Amino acid sequence: MTIDMTETNNAEKAIPAVSAVEISGLNKWFDEFHVLKDIELSVSEKEIIVICGPSGSGKSTFIRCINHLETYQEGTISIFGQPLDNPKTAQGIIRDNVGMLFQSFNLFPHLTIIKNCTLGPIWLRRIPEAKAIEQSMALLDRVGIADLAEKFPGQISGGQQQRVAIARSLAMEPRIMLFDEPTSALDPEMIKEVLDVMVDLAESGMTMMCVTHEMQFAHEVADRVIFMTDGEIVEMGPPEQVLKNPKWDRTQQFLQHVLSHKS
Amino acid sequence: MDEQTTAKTELLKFVPKPDRPPIVISHGIAGWLKKHLFGGFWNTLLTIAVFTLLYLLIKPFLDWAVINAVWSAANRRECMTVSPDGACWAGVIRWFNNLIYGRYPDLLQWRVNLGFGIGIIWALPLALKRLKGKLQIGVAGVVLYPFVAAYIFLGGERGDFHYLVFCLGLAYLILLYIDVALVHTRGKKLSQVFDRYLEPIFGKRSAVASFILIMALITVLCLYIFRGVELEYVSIEFWGGLFLTVIISGFSITMALPIGIMLALGRRSTMPVLRWFSIATIELVRSVPMITVLFMSVTMMPLFFPNTMDLNKLAQVIIAVCVFAGAYMAETVRGGLQSIPKGQFDAAMSIGLGYWQTMFLIILPQALRAMIPNIVTSFISLFKDTTLVSIIGLFDIMLMARNISIDKNWFGLHSEPLVAISVLFFVFCYGMSQYSQRLERKLNTSR
Ligand SMILES: Nc1ncnc2c1ncn2[C@@H]1O[C@H](COP(=O)(O)OP(=O)(O)OP(=O)(O)O)[C@@H](O)[C@H]1O
Ligand SMILES: [Mg+2]
Repeated sequence: MTIDMTETNNAEKAIPAVSAVEISGLNKWFDEFHVLKDIELSVSEKEIIVICGPSGSGKSTFIRCINHLETYQEGTISIFGQPLDNPKTAQGIIRDNVGMLFQSFNLFPHLTIIKNCTLGPIWLRRIPEAKAIEQSMALLDRVGIADLAEKFPGQISGGQQQRVAIARSLAMEPRIMLFDEPTSALDPEMIKEVLDVMVDLAESGMTMMCVTHEMQFAHEVADRVIFMTDGEIVEMGPPEQVLKNPKWDRTQQFLQHVLSHKS
Repeated sequence: MDEQTTAKTELLKFVPKPDRPPIVISHGIAGWLKKHLFGGFWNTLLTIAVFTLLYLLIKPFLDWAVINAVWSAANRRECMTVSPDGACWAGVIRWFNNLIYGRYPDLLQWRVNLGFGIGIIWALPLALKRLKGKLQIGVAGVVLYPFVAAYIFLGGERGDFHYLVFCLGLAYLILLYIDVALVHTRGKKLSQVFDRYLEPIFGKRSAVASFILIMALITVLCLYIFRGVELEYVSIEFWGGLFLTVIISGFSITMALPIGIMLALGRRSTMPVLRWFSIATIELVRSVPMITVLFMSVTMMPLFFPNTMDLNKLAQVIIAVCVFAGAYMAETVRGGLQSIPKGQFDAAMSIGLGYWQTMFLIILPQALRAMIPNIVTSFISLFKDTTLVSIIGLFDIMLMARNISIDKNWFGLHSEPLVAISVLFFVFCYGMSQYSQRLERKLNTSR
């Protein structure tokens, strides 16, 4: 797979010298099972990538590898030119550059919303508590739930929890955000409130890689859409191309399936 | 979407609810009794049967323990002549002091009270809402308090180091109470009052610097004040009774959790040596009876330590009980760790927390919270199990009780001391379990 599309698609965006995420020859096995096969991808700064594909195709595994939550046997992943080869330094690189959102929100249930958000800044970025609270309140305000700051995660709705999770990630001031099906555990009314925040993020110039089946979102926001099957990237290109005229039958089938499900 | 909403409104037709049943009067004692004890034939029968059984069981006990009991007598023979079928509490009362303090000299027992009093005073501020930094207070307590208490309990010439740590502990306690007063009146701790004067010199570290300076000042003051005070030496051989039981179980209860956490984390570690060591310790200790561990600690532990380290029997026993309790606690903690979903680790990692931060900020607080009932259960059984140390000849409350029955005045007085001890233990253990339930409720309502 060649990556030339970046240039054609983002002609108006300045292409930085180093790409935000650079993946080459990525291979991963779960014991005998080959989950990720020869993944090549280069994501430039401020680019929005949407990844879709059938269940079990390795999307989660792929995106978790980028965040160093999974180990892999072959290939390299670099974040802003810094390779994640060394597990000792990888954690620091990830912490300073990458934030991640999960399908199941994964808020810390024993901490209040505001403490969820200030934990990272206080303990990792060594920001004084008062200042960390101030910054986090601004972020909570941005995602529209500043009034819930003193509540516990168990007391708020799923959509609100996911927005807290976004604020919690943003508090670490990442330059890249990864999303693993952030809306698929939510009721339809709540999906919109989370997507709105994500669109807002995209417009603010965040680099985003997003596993999602929200085709509307892909159409409106994505610079590129990636389609994965059986651990391979089988299709990649601007949303109009991948979603309207896919080259592969498999993609077509899948899209029909997803689209018929949604409406 | 629209179709769904219209479908929903159609479903919302008015359906009358069935009439409510007439209100049954259930107020007052009579109402409660009727509702809960005598509602229906079988319920009434069961109530009568249970109460009859209770009466048959409790009546003889009450006769013995209260109605026919003798409360004051010079010796057991006198008890027998007054009331042969009653309990002879006179013996227990006569020996009560020894049950509590063992053979600690009567005139010096105020030191035991003082030592435990300081412990309670130390713990009290932990219940205050407005005081910050409770973890620091707790850790300082665990580290410093044993030295303070040992200094007071033992007395005698304790050496410069022990004297210094004793004064450090007292200084911490004094500062703690100054802080408590200041926080409630001015909203600041003492070190926060001064740190702005130190800012030009120490910059960002001025808060720490002012804390250290204040501590040093009070410590020097304590060193000066107590330099002439001499406490008479009371050897560990004279410690005993409930006093000793509380020392041993207090030590092992505070140490069980840290040891257990370390062993549990070791058992889950990816480092093979650490994992094997943890598994071996846990499995070995758990498959051996506590009595064996106690005996081994007294007979075998001296072999492991160099001769210069003269460990006394009490220290050996405490180490043994701590390891024993820690191994059991490790399994409890492991259960708690397993109940935490993997997503919590993922989230902690993706924020960038390292292993220890993830464990101590995210995983353990949740795991321990889920395990409070189990943890308190093991604390309670640990507290009761420490009575086994009487077997290796420490004069704990059990051995003191048995000593009553061989006192020439109270020869053969077996049951009464045991009943008295049971009551004492019940008070302690019931207190612990009530506290844990309150803690659980408090933590549950806060989420
Ligand atoms: N820890 C693991 N051990 C073994 N196999 C795994 C593990 N995690 C995932 N797999 C397997 O790897 C494959 C890819 O999983 P992955 O979760 O990445 O798929 P996905 O594309 O995210 O699917 P979904 O849309 O259902 O989330 C699946 O077949 C899964 O069974
Ligand atoms: Mg997935």
